[in-house]
Amino acid sequence: MSILFDGLSLGAIYALIALGYTMVYGIAKMLNFAHGDIIMVGAYAVFVTLMGGGHIALAIGISVIICVVMGVVVEKFAYKPLRGASPLAVLITAIGVSYLLQSVSQLIFGAAPKQVTIASMGTVTLFGAKISLSSILTLVIGAIIMACLTVFVKKTKTGRAMVAVSEDKGAAMLMGINVNRIITVTFAIGSALAAAASLFYLMQIPSVEPTLGSMPGIKAFTAAVIGGIGSIPGAMIGGVLLGVIEKICLSIPVLAPYTTAVEFGLLIVILLVRPIGLLGKKRREKV
Amino acid sequence: MIKSILKSDDFKLKNCINYIAVIAVLVLLTVLNSMGELKASSMNLFVQIGYSIILAVSLNLVVGFLGELSLGHAGFMCVGAYLGTFISMQLSTVIESKVICLLISMLCGGILAAFFGFLVGLPALRLKGDYLAIVTLAFGEIVRTVFKNLPWFGKAMGLSTNAVKFNKKDFPLFIIVFITVIVVLFLVQNLVRSKHGRAITAIRDNEIAAKAMGINVTYYKLFVFVIAAFFAGVAGVFYGHYTTPVMYTFFSYNYSIEILVMVVLGGMGSINGSIIAATLIPIINFKLQEKLPGDLAALKFLIYALILIGIVIFNNAPKLNAFKEKFSVKALIARLTAKNRKPEDILNDPAHWDKIPTKIAMDEVLSTDIQAGSEYVPDKPGKGGK
Amino acid sequence: MKKFTKVMALLLSLSMVLAFAACGGNTEETTAAGGEETTAADVSYDLTKEGDYTADNTEYVIGATGPLTGDAASYGISVQQGAQLAIDEINAAGGLNGVNFKLDMKDDKATAADASTGYDALFEAGMQASLGSVTSGSAESFATRAAEDDVFSLTPSASADNVINASNNSFRVCFGDPDNGIMSAEKLAKEYENIGVIYDSSDAYSSGIYDAFKTKMAELNVTYIEQSFDAENNRDFSTQVEALKDCDVIFLPIYYTEAGLIAKACVAKGCDAFLFGCDGLDGVASQIDDTVTNKISYLTPFDVNSEDAKVSAFVTAYETKYGAKPDQFAADGYDAVYVIFEAMKALGVNNVKVDPAELGKALTATLTSADFSYDGVTGGMVWDASGACVKEPIIVELN
Repeated sequence: MSILFDGLSLGAIYALIALGYTMVYGIAKMLNFAHGDIIMVGAYAVFVTLMGGGHIALAIGISVIICVVMGVVVEKFAYKPLRGASPLAVLITAIGVSYLLQSVSQLIFGAAPKQVTIASMGTVTLFGAKISLSSILTLVIGAIIMACLTVFVKKTKTGRAMVAVSEDKGAAMLMGINVNRIITVTFAIGSALAAAASLFYLMQIPSVEPTLGSMPGIKAFTAAVIGGIGSIPGAMIGGVLLGVIEKICLSIPVLAPYTTAVEFGLLIVILLVRPIGLLGKKRREKV
Repeated sequence: MIKSILKSDDFKLKNCINYIAVIAVLVLLTVLNSMGELKASSMNLFVQIGYSIILAVSLNLVVGFLGELSLGHAGFMCVGAYLGTFISMQLSTVIESKVICLLISMLCGGILAAFFGFLVGLPALRLKGDYLAIVTLAFGEIVRTVFKNLPWFGKAMGLSTNAVKFNKKDFPLFIIVFITVIVVLFLVQNLVRSKHGRAITAIRDNEIAAKAMGINVTYYKLFVFVIAAFFAGVAGVFYGHYTTPVMYTFFSYNYSIEILVMVVLGGMGSINGSIIAATLIPIINFKLQEKLPGDLAALKFLIYALILIGIVIFNNAPKLNAFKEKFSVKALIARLTAKNRKPEDILNDPAHWDKIPTKIAMDEVLSTDIQAGSEYVPDKPGKGGK
Repeated sequence: MKKFTKVMALLLSLSMVLAFAACGGNTEETTAAGGEETTAADVSYDLTKEGDYTADNTEYVIGATGPLTGDAASYGISVQQGAQLAIDEINAAGGLNGVNFKLDMKDDKATAADASTGYDALFEAGMQASLGSVTSGSAESFATRAAEDDVFSLTPSASADNVINASNNSFRVCFGDPDNGIMSAEKLAKEYENIGVIYDSSDAYSSGIYDAFKTKMAELNVTYIEQSFDAENNRDFSTQVEALKDCDVIFLPIYYTEAGLIAKACVAKGCDAFLFGCDGLDGVASQIDDTVTNKISYLTPFDVNSEDAKVSAFVTAYETKYGAKPDQFAADGYDAVYVIFEAMKALGVNNVKVDPAELGKALTATLTSADFSYDGVTGGMVWDASGACVKEPIIVELN
């Protein structure tokens, strides 16, 4: 039972990161490999604010602002010049940005992991298992964010413009949508989600280092693909599924060292059965 | 199939420049080595360059020619490095010569990696684009995770390959690597230029159209994955004979990406480009490592990242195209030579007709003055046709 | 354009060959590589000989590689800072017969291949003795390369036996993994009932200790619960702690970064087990805060809070220079430099251009000789012929 809850709260973190991945992918059609490193930037922002004696709410605010600015700046200088170029070129720049962010943060903060002290919110006992409140909070807020995003995309003008851009860039442009602006907004939202993810990450794993973002980034990307890339509920389901599977594997000693293999194996199996992910939309290909 | 790969049907000198370059390097290095003029670091760097070329060229087959993104090339290399070197170590108890052990294990490692290439190729039949990319990435991570936990391969300690590693007093490894590079180049270039190569590029350009043309898409996709995995496996065997221990950390997706960087920087679908990039990147890495010791090491990553972003943006940004055309070496040469040419030469030579300044001619037509008092004749309505 | 790239390829490769060849020195291998045993008694060496690449040296160059970027960077940087501090102190005190020392440390990202190229760069830049590498895989790679040139290597922190077995001039300052595992098993089996273990299956250090621990526990016929993780992929330890929550003691043969997270996971899960670890746990104090109430202790050769004059002088100097308390990696790096310095002093080296191979043979003979010992910040050390360091652990307790 407790394993399930641990898995859920880890999964919620993956899901939040995966949401950012999936939005950017859906609209800009690019794998933003630097997304994980934006989380790292957010985590350092939280760390610095808390070190400076700031309140946790202030830390969240600063972290969101810094991540959004970072996301937009990266988009402007590294990805925008490549609009219209081959997707692979964009992928490589994204990797370059990821290396850049890692090395800059190592230069600023050093390589040693820094511990972050976030006041514990205590625990509750549920179904005979001790569960920390922060992990429940992660789950709840994750679900709220997902719901808000869904509403945002479905109901607001900007959200609908996003859907239009992801369906057909050219047609969207003809309809008077400023595609560049929409992509920038997407990056801003994705980065804000990354900032939220960084806070929950720190609640669960209270330590920051320059390479913090790379593995959660890859895991979240896997989650986004499992759920069907471009699909918001899909990212959520994929993330939670991955978190739970990871925790179950880790709790079985024989299987524990092979956890990563099991997770990625699951991905391959799911894609073989459903090549578009669990909730992905099928697109007919035209010649 | 094999026959058509082996025989080169359009033999032209310009297709052979890269062989000549590699052979020239090899001969030069061998001579220098026999004179004792070659530093150990250069010899080792050339081994690295050699296996990087093999990796980049084989990945280019998948990414540049078949058009599928693969992020698991290091996984195939990992299979070759662990299994191939393991076989070589078993052989070394029977066979004394390290060279023979290497040659046999190259084949074994390659075939085993090719088997995994076949396995990865299977999902490639169903998946496209980024979905396939994540599957290849997943494959690479699975392979690594499995090898780091198997007791026969030293678990987290890695496989100590001291028994078969090439030392200073052994036959220089870079010679074998470079000969293999030539063989790989020969096979890959002939494949690409054969009818099979054209089938593969047809799949890249439009899979459905290729299918309609009667191309066996399944067969060719699997074939490319198997071939690329085979070469990556061979590169892995070289790695195992070049350094010890063979450790799972090296084969992470970061290394797959580094190979991909070589392919993209060199230009997708350009074998010579891959060769150049696969030569430059190990040199850049080595030089940065050499020049930036201690506290400066973190700068190394920074510089590498900036170089990467800079080159990709410069090479690919659509907005820079006009700028590049204006200031490229080619345009410069064209401008320099154009001055010496008389206008009649251009007019008489059909090859230069595209250089006739049509804009002026059009301007003349458009600026025909209408004299005051002249009769206004409206244009006749068009007769259809645009 | 295509033709242009081809011509470029040709030009590039040719110019490269010339560039590399032009500055090539004579690398003809005359000395025997490692593996052929020479006993300490019949070693002959000539410390007046000049090396091929050391002709331009104006200082004694001590080389090393280590992870200065990437996941393991904190360990490499600690070693580098500790070693640099020792070098600075030695130079401030007049060096060796008036000749200064220099530390040249290259980044190897904790991979064997980069340790190998790093070795090349160091050797050709005039390295005369080395600290090997920081992590086990890299150190093994470094040591096998160093053996080819008979270069002495004294790794501060690579604890796997493969490293010192790679050649007979490869030594270490830290404990070996099996020693750690056996000592811990004996202690825990004697004192506790419910024993749990969390080890890192992806790490050579951790699985090395765990394997020895497992064997010893089987020998002692004591049962325990095992849990593992993979540091590359898992940083959330709630599951492992949950499984071991009722244990009296949790053995952590891992590094301090993960141990800090485990301690915090214990708090979150309400587990009050005693956490016991090995020398890798040193530095854990920087990773935990007041919320952690678990008793933590570890076997280590180095205690940052020690009253010992030598240790406190080192800690103060380190803090003044780098603004942080040294961990065991830094202490090992510091000691390793001093061991090389003392051994060179004992040999009476007085030739700044001394050949690395000759110096390597001399240092090997000195370290394995019965009358050489060094008393450093990580305790009194002597070396056996295998290259292992014999020293006494102390137990440091927190909370």
